[in-house]
Amino acid sequence: MYKRTTDENLKRILFLGSGETDFGLQGENDAAVYQVLPILKSQGYALFLVDDNPYSLALESADAETIVATLTVQNIKAIIKEKQIDAVFPGFAGVRGLRLWHQIISEWREEDGPRPVGLGMPDSTVSLLNHSTALFERLETAGLAMPQATIVRSQAEANELLRDLELPLLVRAHNPAQGTTRRIVKRLDDFERVVDEVLEQSLTKEAVISKAINGLKEVSLLVLRDAAGNCLQIGASEDMDPIGIHTADSLSVAPVLTISDQVLQEMRDQAFLVANILDIQGPVHVQLALNEKTNQLYLIKVSPYLDQLSNRMALLTGYPVMLVAVQLATGRLIQDVELPPSYHEKTAMMEPVMDHIVVKLPVFSFGDMAAAGVTVNRQLNSIQKSVGSALGFGRTFTEAMEKAIRAAHFNNRSFSPKYMKHVNDDELIQQLIHPQDNRVLLLLEALRRGYEVDELAELTKIDEFYFYQLKRILTIEGKVTAGQPSQDLLKEAKASGLSDGLLARFWESDFQAIRELAKQAGVTPTYKALEPSAGEFPENAHQFFATFEEENESVPVSNKTILVIGPGAFRMGDGLAAGYATSVVLSELRKLGYKTVIMNNNASDASLLPHLSDKQYLEPLEVSDVMAVVDQEQPEAIVVPGNRRKLIEALVALGQQVIVLPKEKHQPAGPEPGESEFALNLFYDGERAFPLVLTQHQQGEIRLIDQDVFDTDLSMIQLPYSGVYQLIWREDRTDWVEQIPLPDFAVDSWLRPMPYGQVAFLSKILQVSLIRLVVRSWKQGGLTNDDLEALVAHMPALRGSDFAMVSDRTDFDLHLKPEATIDSTRFEMGAKIVRLQGDDDGQG
Amino acid sequence: MERHLILEDGTVFSGQGFGAPATTFGEIIFDTATSGYQETITNPIYDGQMIVFAMPVVGADGIHAEAYESIQPKIRGMIVHDLAEVSTNRQRRMNLDRFLRQHNVPGIYQVDTRKLIRHLRETGSQKATIVDVVDDHARDQLQATVLTNKQVQNTATNKAYANPGRGFHIVVIDFGLKNGILRVLGDYDANVTVLPYTTSVDEVLTLDPDGIIFSTGPGNPEDLPESVLTLIRVLQSKVPLLGIGLGHELFALANNSALTVLPAEYHGMNHPIQEIISQEILYARQGRGYVVDPEELDTKKLFVTHRDLVDHSIQGLRHRDYPAFSVQFFPDGAPGPLEAKRVFADFFETVIDYVQKNN
Amino acid sequence: MVNKIVLDQASMQRALTRITYEILEHNKGGQNLILVGVKTRGEYLAHRIADRLEQLEGVQIPVMAIDISDYRDDRLNQHSKLGLDEEDRVNIIDKNIVLVDDVLFTGRTTRAALDALIQIGRPKTISLAVLIDRGHRELPIRADFVGKNIPTAQNEKIQVKVKEIDEVDQVEIVH
Repeated sequence: MYKRTTDENLKRILFLGSGETDFGLQGENDAAVYQVLPILKSQGYALFLVDDNPYSLALESADAETIVATLTVQNIKAIIKEKQIDAVFPGFAGVRGLRLWHQIISEWREEDGPRPVGLGMPDSTVSLLNHSTALFERLETAGLAMPQATIVRSQAEANELLRDLELPLLVRAHNPAQGTTRRIVKRLDDFERVVDEVLEQSLTKEAVISKAINGLKEVSLLVLRDAAGNCLQIGASEDMDPIGIHTADSLSVAPVLTISDQVLQEMRDQAFLVANILDIQGPVHVQLALNEKTNQLYLIKVSPYLDQLSNRMALLTGYPVMLVAVQLATGRLIQDVELPPSYHEKTAMMEPVMDHIVVKLPVFSFGDMAAAGVTVNRQLNSIQKSVGSALGFGRTFTEAMEKAIRAAHFNNRSFSPKYMKHVNDDELIQQLIHPQDNRVLLLLEALRRGYEVDELAELTKIDEFYFYQLKRILTIEGKVTAGQPSQDLLKEAKASGLSDGLLARFWESDFQAIRELAKQAGVTPTYKALEPSAGEFPENAHQFFATFEEENESVPVSNKTILVIGPGAFRMGDGLAAGYATSVVLSELRKLGYKTVIMNNNASDASLLPHLSDKQYLEPLEVSDVMAVVDQEQPEAIVVPGNRRKLIEALVALGQQVIVLPKEKHQPAGPEPGESEFALNLFYDGERAFPLVLTQHQQGEIRLIDQDVFDTDLSMIQLPYSGVYQLIWREDRTDWVEQIPLPDFAVDSWLRPMPYGQVAFLSKILQVSLIRLVVRSWKQGGLTNDDLEALVAHMPALRGSDFAMVSDRTDFDLHLKPEATIDSTRFEMGAKIVRLQGDDDGQG
Repeated sequence: MERHLILEDGTVFSGQGFGAPATTFGEIIFDTATSGYQETITNPIYDGQMIVFAMPVVGADGIHAEAYESIQPKIRGMIVHDLAEVSTNRQRRMNLDRFLRQHNVPGIYQVDTRKLIRHLRETGSQKATIVDVVDDHARDQLQATVLTNKQVQNTATNKAYANPGRGFHIVVIDFGLKNGILRVLGDYDANVTVLPYTTSVDEVLTLDPDGIIFSTGPGNPEDLPESVLTLIRVLQSKVPLLGIGLGHELFALANNSALTVLPAEYHGMNHPIQEIISQEILYARQGRGYVVDPEELDTKKLFVTHRDLVDHSIQGLRHRDYPAFSVQFFPDGAPGPLEAKRVFADFFETVIDYVQKNN
Repeated sequence: MVNKIVLDQASMQRALTRITYEILEHNKGGQNLILVGVKTRGEYLAHRIADRLEQLEGVQIPVMAIDISDYRDDRLNQHSKLGLDEEDRVNIIDKNIVLVDDVLFTGRTTRAALDALIQIGRPKTISLAVLIDRGHRELPIRADFVGKNIPTAQNEKIQVKVKEIDEVDQVEIVH
């Protein structure tokens, strides 16, 4: 028993940013920082944030002093000194933050002055987490079982080990330079190559080899712990796919459905033990493998910091994980945590319980790449290949799953019973054993072809529960195709997650006809509140999802509402920037006095944060889902990203007032090697175009050109929607220009909406939020003179001309094994802002 | 087949029947735990009750031999949103539907359980019936039904039996014991004798126990005979004593304190419970309609050791003069968090102390 | 040298909790009670027990520390310093003293503490609370309140660590 409260001397906190987005590193950290800044500020802290991610929303927060700088020890030390930082919080910066903080601690010298404390975990834990051997030893001593692992330093040592252990083996880098990847070696032929690769990835040139535990069930748990050692479980989710497929690439479901309470409690106990051993104040994500024959558990990964699971659990339980986690890190005990008034006063202390099912489906970019002529390895294994994920919320597993599939693909094409016809039986078996991205659809097809549940469960190591659920879908599908539209059938089909559009496909009708039919039959969605007490307490919930039951809990927000359609899952080439744009739209609409409602299904960006909008609908974004929410909320207007052309057309056809946030349907390709792409960036306020700045783009890097363009005549430009656009032309040159003669725009350039990523970058560098101006221009009369003056005032100084945006760091080879080089502009996963230092190396 | 749930206040909920096609009556309550349905429906404390599960999908894990809390389900009805089908095979020998049918317990699924729970949250628990047809007859039957107050007689053993081990001799007084308690005592290799609650003080003392547990059980403790309270009053002064659930309520009654009924019953495992002395928080399975009235607590005899931080209800008591204590929550973890098992650890330390001092 | 953890933080906390309950049981409501911790670690344990009593009963029990490192019968020293001042001496008269130590082994430390207490004042009763009783008594001394009995071999050493000075709360056996 310790009477620990927050440290009075702790006043100035520096948040480390998580840097550029990548596989497995989406916007979750940035969203978390953005969410927690206001509450910490209200508790009297002075807050600072350093990051180099151009798509960061938190970097534009008014609640912290934000600093754009490359995340190096030297830079952070300088900031600490200059800003007189008392405490550094690395917990919302993922494994990168932890590694950076470890370096800072290790390299701190006496002459650097007093070192700030680290929040969230003691120094000893930081160091333990950066020495995996010591960590394993510590966890093992405490009685936690792990697949036996050995560290090898050479090919010879690896071969030695191979004689003792049988394949398959799991090989991964010890102290890897990038995030951890695990590879499973099944064939002797692959062993040497994999060991070589992994040794190369390790900072210490060491590989860890252990027995593969393929085929076991994988479960992720999220727990929180406070300074006094109190632990609570936030949630758990199980993967449908067995170990052997990266958890990010598997369908997962929460709450856990197929595991007994006894085993779940054992898992919880182990997660608490890990949190206690590491003395964490905040979240701990623990991944466990379960051998169902013996009930033996193996600890396979420990992530004692915020990651995707934290944000996902926050969204799907309604428990404010990030707001609580950060306060625990500052030393508050769980019973002293403060929450905004929309929560029940005891919410922080109560373990959230779910009365709904959420399915997470990975989103892959294989299709987009194939369309661009890039062939990649589609087979799923222990290396992450998905780039994002979409969530489906429902009251049954099938409803949640169908909604997740629609959320992941924006359409119902893949549901067609004919979709898989082309796969022959041999291929089917092959793909059952060696799964690809179309996993769920393939399982459905196998059932359709009469494979037995036992057989399939044996072949795939997937729990038979899932096959019974998939069979239900086939049953509904059969009923629908065999039957005529009726009230009962409509209700049953829609309660199973089928959309109006999909039913129209089955009945060879159109969406609007089915929608009318359903309305007449009284089959309309009932929205259920998503809150952490599962109905035990009245909570002032703002999150809803649709289902088809008796009680509708959602009440329209106001008669002056704007509905904003989110971008859905994180996708390549679009990435976090789309989430950023949506979030800024919401923030600005609210500033202008509108009530806002957001529809989205991605947990990793900020757009669904409870404080950004008045209501959040966690739904797929097909036209039938959108129109159902329109019927419920009666919005004045609907904001839709410009790439959703079909949706825009459908909504307009249905008489809705649509505001388009300009965006190309596909991310434009970047310049070829040896080529430069130039852009005159401009702002169009609905009537007139205003020139902003010139940028030059070479493969993977964009810079500003220090050249005045204000007098450029753009009077010929007339566009349907206000927004930020670019006039583009290309030249064969690879030098970075200081001045460039402008072409005849009418002849030698083409116009396109500025990609969101560049909008976010320019907004930061020019220090004027371009999206906010776009939103303001939607008002009657467009931008005010003040707005325009502000916009112009930021241009001439070109304070950004010593910054560049670089986006060529993603390790596509590791994740996707492409046969050709991947265009890192078009298929960008993330980018960073770097400061140019006189010369043109651009590496900051 | 479509079936219906009628509440005493007249509200009707409809869904599809599963389990037995029987018509039953019971007191309806709701449960917010997301795991442990098998343990819950076989827990004798739910004798005579119908349970609405907030967990929307129930049954996906089948029925397991090691998850029984008593040999048969004690509930009168199970109301869920979705029933998951699983086959019966080597790993899952039984599924929920078949299990309920065998034990003549009806269930309804495809019910808007969230609406039902939100309704019960406001109206409190009440009588209910599961029927095939909603008509005046069904409504009259429900109104006329008087629910039994003999649940303990229905569920508790009337014969003494042994559950031998090689460790300390623990006597369990049975009011509708759940297996979890015996399972934990087994972990300590205790030599257990389970006795009917009608056993006399002398009979208990003749067995020379090292510790005594007053077990969990269903119903209102005030329906039990006064002799039970006498048993506690005498035994607490002689041997280390632990009361659990109903046993805790009886421990309070025996020590000049009174109970009260909470406006809403709580059945779940997500409330924080604080151990006052250490300020530590733990979570445990709870299932309660009655709690000790803080206004009517005899503080000369007892003091509060645990509280539920959500509704501030008393969750643990200790005697001022004797090594005797009790908890309202279920510390055996079946179902529920395992950190609550520390109550048994404390009990056994107390037993060790007692044995050493009396040798 | 191998250290084996025999009591982790949680178990150690709970042992102190149990001792506190038992002290209450034997000293109605904690009236007239004084805790005397045997330096160094016994003092911290005494404070923890006092904190617990305060949580439970809302009363502040006085805590004193006694240093008997110079007072043991096997280490003769005429100039013993107990770390108790004149005020303390007066205060213990007619009080119920609970002597708190980390480990009870041969009993010599306890005896020295008892001698010292009796010498300087006249308490009404003295009882003994120890976190660990490891056996091998050489004197007829028995603890009234024991956190945990840990049977040990003569040549083993029990090391109690407390967070205040050792960074962790745990008990180890050193072989």
